[in-house]
Amino acid sequence: MKQAAEGTEQDTSKPVASIGRRWGMVVDLDRCTGCQACVVACHAENNIALNLEDVVLQQRAINWIRIERYWEGEYPNVKARFLPMFCQHCNNAPCEPVCPVYATYHNQEGLNVQVYNRCIGTRYCANNCPYHARFFNFWERDLDDTHREYLNPEVTVRTKGIMEKCTFCVQRIRRSEWERRQADEELQEGDVQPACVQACPTDTLVFGNLEDENSRVAQLAENKRHYRVMENLGTDTNVIYLKKVDPHASETAPAHAGTAADSGGNSA
Amino acid sequence: MTPRTLRITIGALVVVLGLLIIGAVTWVTQAADGPKQPIEFMHTVHVEQNDIDCVFCHRNVETGAEATIPAIEQCMMCHQIVNNENPKVTNPLHQAEIAKLVAHWENKEPIDWVRVHVMPDHVRFVHAAHIKAGFDCATCHGDVGSMERVKQVRSLNMGDCVACHRENNAPTDCTICHR
Repeated sequence: MKQAAEGTEQDTSKPVASIGRRWGMVVDLDRCTGCQACVVACHAENNIALNLEDVVLQQRAINWIRIERYWEGEYPNVKARFLPMFCQHCNNAPCEPVCPVYATYHNQEGLNVQVYNRCIGTRYCANNCPYHARFFNFWERDLDDTHREYLNPEVTVRTKGIMEKCTFCVQRIRRSEWERRQADEELQEGDVQPACVQACPTDTLVFGNLEDENSRVAQLAENKRHYRVMENLGTDTNVIYLKKVDPHASETAPAHAGTAADSGGNSA
Repeated sequence: MTPRTLRITIGALVVVLGLLIIGAVTWVTQAADGPKQPIEFMHTVHVEQNDIDCVFCHRNVETGAEATIPAIEQCMMCHQIVNNENPKVTNPLHQAEIAKLVAHWENKEPIDWVRVHVMPDHVRFVHAAHIKAGFDCATCHGDVGSMERVKQVRSLNMGDCVACHRENNAPTDCTICHR
């Protein structure tokens, strides 16, 4: 009875009781150059299948992280902008309630987890994801002995018929956890770095514990430029984007050539 | 039914039954004994008689995910002295098996040990974390020291793992094992 009473009193503003840790990422779009290093790193780290031409043409390519390119301004003063897009690890994830077998759920660290061995491949989750962050395995991996040598042994090779997506490199989180535990220590700020964050040359991506006020990611999340992608959907994502709104975007190049450079990042 | 067809039928039945029995016997003994290894490595000799600690050979068990099977170099640390010509090795079986090891060493060929504990690809087990939590190797592997041929003693399926995690207040989040 006591347990039931406690259950009803729990904080309903959060979907899962927290354990003082909520992994999140800040993406500073004003820094992103669209170099795709994160994409390459992610593919190598997470044993993602090669996207050959026919796969891409069928729109069945798997990219846990991708760089979305869009244009700002009007011809002839057009600027290329880049936006890394990956699983936003929503706190109110649209993908989670539609899974009939609980293959995707929210864990206590704020991660949206995909359990490969539970997944039966209904693809409801991918249909319900507004960020196009989930990818279905339409084919079995055809790995010869040479290709097996390339695989990361800490990551499952997904089989045909199941869904996959960004995990925030949970294998790295777990490794850091037990390596710290070997030394009787707690996980510390900066221990965990997903592959994309590690590869990013311009420090666009910052990863950490959003619940720790002193962490870099939590402080950046408070930045004036912050927004969440499709915030109006109420997904309450754990990924926060920083972007200065450029009021001069559609002006001609000479008019603001100087102002854009010295206006700085935080004055939006 | 002519006597000839009767004889053929009975003959065929006997052959089939015989094969079934042989199959069943090998299956049962295999299951009881674990897989046959390229060298009849005896934990009884190493652990029971010579009192060698598990970690002496399975060196990575306290620091890494895998316990690791020792390289031949490590076997030869001792077996260069304790080789098949050593007068103290009197058991002809031991002599023969050590000779196989020495042959592998001299031909620079690795030994293709047969894996005993096979986990599915979507499971990650970290030995170091479990040793750090204070578990004995025997908790999962049984009394390997008394096994002539190593076999799996626990089911080590998900229910087994989760039950133990619950008993010991270890985390049961899916991502602890499935990544």
